[in-house]
Amino acid sequence: MVNSSNQPTTKRRHWVASVRRIYRGDGPYWAMLLPLLVFVVVVAIYPLLFSFRISLFKYRLTDPDQVQTFIGLSNYLRAFLDPAVLNAIKVTLVYVAGTVIVELVLGLGLASLLASEMRMTRTIRAFLLIPMALPPLVVGLVWKSLYNADFGVIPYYLKQIGIGVGRGPLAELGWAMPAVILIDVWQWAPLMMIIFLAGLKSLPVEPYEAAYADGATRWDRFAFITLPLLKPTILLALLLRTMQSFKVFDTIYATTGGGPGSVTTVLNFHIYTVGMTFFDMGYAAALANILMVIIAVLSIVYIMLLERQQL
Amino acid sequence: MNSKRWRKLSFLFVGVMILGLVSCTAPAAVAPPAAPAAGEAAPVAAVGLEVCKGQNLVLASMTDQYIAAFRALIPKFEEASGATVTMDELGYVDLYQKLIADFVGHTANYDLMTVDIVWSGEFGQNKYTLPLDTFMERDQAELQLDDILPVAWTLGEWQGAHVAYPLAGYANVLNYNKDLLAQAGIEPPKTQEELLAAAEKLTDAAKGTFGIALLGAKGSAVAQDYMSWVQQHGGSILDDNGKAALNTPENVEILKFFGELFKYAPPGATDYWWDQRETAFRTGNVAMMEGWSIARAGYENPDLSSIVGKADLTSAPVKAGMEPQYGFGGWGIGINADSTPEEQACAWQFIKWLSSPEIQKDWLRNDGAPIRRSTMTDPEIVAAYPWMPLLLESFEKGDGDYRPRIPQYSLIQDALGTHVNAFLVGQETAEQALEAAQKQVDDNWQ
Amino acid sequence: MMNKTSPLEKAVMAILIVLAITFFMMPVFWLVTTAFKFGREAFAIPPKWLFFDFTLRNFQEVLATSKTGQFILNSIIISTGATVLSLVLGVPAGYAIARSNSRLLNLSAYFFLLLLMVPPVAMLIPFYLIMRDIHLLGSYAALIILDTVFDAAFVVWMMRSYFADVPKEIEEAAFVDGASHFSAFLRIALPLSIPGVVAAALYVIIYSWNDFLFALMLTSPQTKTIPLGILSSFSSVEVSWGKMAVMCLFAIAPALIISLFLNRYFVQGVTMGATKG
Repeated sequence: MVNSSNQPTTKRRHWVASVRRIYRGDGPYWAMLLPLLVFVVVVAIYPLLFSFRISLFKYRLTDPDQVQTFIGLSNYLRAFLDPAVLNAIKVTLVYVAGTVIVELVLGLGLASLLASEMRMTRTIRAFLLIPMALPPLVVGLVWKSLYNADFGVIPYYLKQIGIGVGRGPLAELGWAMPAVILIDVWQWAPLMMIIFLAGLKSLPVEPYEAAYADGATRWDRFAFITLPLLKPTILLALLLRTMQSFKVFDTIYATTGGGPGSVTTVLNFHIYTVGMTFFDMGYAAALANILMVIIAVLSIVYIMLLERQQL
Repeated sequence: MNSKRWRKLSFLFVGVMILGLVSCTAPAAVAPPAAPAAGEAAPVAAVGLEVCKGQNLVLASMTDQYIAAFRALIPKFEEASGATVTMDELGYVDLYQKLIADFVGHTANYDLMTVDIVWSGEFGQNKYTLPLDTFMERDQAELQLDDILPVAWTLGEWQGAHVAYPLAGYANVLNYNKDLLAQAGIEPPKTQEELLAAAEKLTDAAKGTFGIALLGAKGSAVAQDYMSWVQQHGGSILDDNGKAALNTPENVEILKFFGELFKYAPPGATDYWWDQRETAFRTGNVAMMEGWSIARAGYENPDLSSIVGKADLTSAPVKAGMEPQYGFGGWGIGINADSTPEEQACAWQFIKWLSSPEIQKDWLRNDGAPIRRSTMTDPEIVAAYPWMPLLLESFEKGDGDYRPRIPQYSLIQDALGTHVNAFLVGQETAEQALEAAQKQVDDNWQ
Repeated sequence: MMNKTSPLEKAVMAILIVLAITFFMMPVFWLVTTAFKFGREAFAIPPKWLFFDFTLRNFQEVLATSKTGQFILNSIIISTGATVLSLVLGVPAGYAIARSNSRLLNLSAYFFLLLLMVPPVAMLIPFYLIMRDIHLLGSYAALIILDTVFDAAFVVWMMRSYFADVPKEIEEAAFVDGASHFSAFLRIALPLSIPGVVAAALYVIIYSWNDFLFALMLTSPQTKTIPLGILSSFSSVEVSWGKMAVMCLFAIAPALIISLFLNRYFVQGVTMGATKG
């Protein structure tokens, strides 16, 4: 709309135009997002809210009368004063750090090694996915037998090369955590491999050609081109795997039951004990929310790094 | 009445029939009408197998050895009664969870279920399974209740009512390897003290043979073994008021003894679950092993065992001077309190049929475990399983309560499971361990 | 051309690959041999990798007595359902978040992330109660729906990252030519991100396939999945390792077939030459 005075009209026109642009620009995007959003909200909102709500109550799942007593934040207070919970948090952090770092390195290495599209490497890649196909609980049970000090395969060979195993990798205080981490690495490093593989496949070719022309070695190319370009993928892999690793349960349940002592009692396992052995649902829900907050904090750190990347 | 009215009425009648059929065949879809109040059986007139015609029952069974017996016998029952029985085979991990989910959710997926002896209190207090006493009283004449060994009733008794019926009785026995004992010139031990001495003598770590295999893994495994040894030393987990008394001086002594035994067990024993303990014995590396009697037949199976012909069993040794009592365990069979009255009536027929003296012989022959005296003294059975008389003695002096069958059992089990294991790996002293366990139980006792 | 590798490099790579294969395949090989062994040899010392008494007994027992076929079928139905649903819902959403400039839209992405942070147990009990009340407990739908919630969240975040890697220029060129957003997505961005979609699909299939906790609470005897079937080999007294190994093989086989099939799509993106300068 034209006016005698140009400035206000132009500004208003810009504003209108930009709103329209956003709307028109993003309308289709909203349409593509909405189905999932609606689905998730409908399905997950009640359970999420239930979990938040019940953490403020005292509630025994198996109580025939299903009594729920409101106790405010005392579940949370109890958690912060509970040495078992604090230990579980510590153990969980160690576990997550160990698994994620090793899996990251191993996954990246495997993806690089097996990146070519030869028949053989493709087949090897497919076979490497087998560990993921087994339920973590079963994986734990199988590895428990492999680790058995008396007739397990691994201690047998360790003893052959002169390494004593004492009570076994899962029963010795110093070995239990590394042993359990190894099981997780066995199962999930291939997933990292896949994520990195997809990332590698979408890297542009030009930088490599330029580097080769400049005489860069394979290692140089990897360190100075591949790694920086893969940063978003690396962060993505870190993010997803960290969140998963925080929630580990089956493996611990099947192998050590949180022992020996409580050196492998991760928080999610402790939550299960509280909820399923003591049926103290209110406290379990509070602990679950605390776990979620810890994961959220870490994730926010990752995301901030990711966001800076996307710019 | 005119034809129009007839038509309306017949529509109504058909409609009700259809509704009735639908709700019968889809029990999970509709919450059943309020289950019979505790103690009151559904008022079904017929008493025999006729009530089963056309019924569909679902049985949730543990995959213990007796499942082979179920597989063999269920078709026979179906033939005799006209009902169909579907069996869902579940492992120890998922059986408990699925049953609780079924009960708490009132979904009545399962009509019949195998009930571990230690669950009696929990199931009874929370009214998960139907009390069977009215049925039992009504059908007293057929049941021949005196024939069932008194200790077997612990497989489902709770505060005077029966929330499960005896299904399979296990006695805690001492298995031993005849060859290894003969080589060391030892007689099977009769007392706990002899047991320890024998274990020491039979251990030769350099050769890789050990005296005894034990359950040491954190959790239910070590808790069960420890409680077993408490029983064998005449101790008790509960005090006279039925509250947990874990840190008594006697129990501390027994814990120390338990720790002594571990010196003569394979190094990995502090991490043993049941199947690792079995493997240790079956491969012939370990000379002695206490365990449930139901595993005995398996040692003669060349597919599973490397010690065919070398295994034997004797009653579990008790402390010197103690009046002999033997640990008793096993499984009962229960009826879901949420099932429809018709399903419950038919389920009861199944239980009656299964526990009858005639069928019990087939039950045993197919790897089931006994509950009746007549079965255990039957000449054919004794010929096939020569250890039956010894088992009978263990049953007659059996103690089914050495693992308290109270609703708080899982609490005690968890506390002992954690701290006994901590003691065995050297993290806590015996006194500390039982103090901590007692505290954990006290803090969470409902 | 630029991939001229020296023999030394080739040798090193070969050794590393062999080590990797040994590490990852050893337990699998153990499972395979155990499936064909008698129970008494499962834990023989020294371990018998190649020479042992071969038997098909375990296979016969498993096929005769348990409903393995039904379990596999149920697992396939549920995995396929969850995968299809989560891809259909999640891939477009991932694209929308990657391309859009709207802060609000981006914020909703974090809602999905929140779901991935929730310990499954916290969602399970309320979800179980809901399913009970709407009488869907024990149906395929219950498990597919719950799996999709988590799977789709994962898909969104993966695809967001992979779509962000696809240069916008091609799409913008298409806009100039009059293409709609949706066809830009379908005809340009998607084909260029096939490796990402494949990776997401593989993950989702696997996640639903080996889920144990949700399956335990939400299935009925008719809709039981393989992980629960495997667990039936654990009695209160012992473990039938032979049968368990057989069931593990049945659990692995379909997953292996699918991944062999999908691996073909991990092809080099067609981005070369299409980007600026």
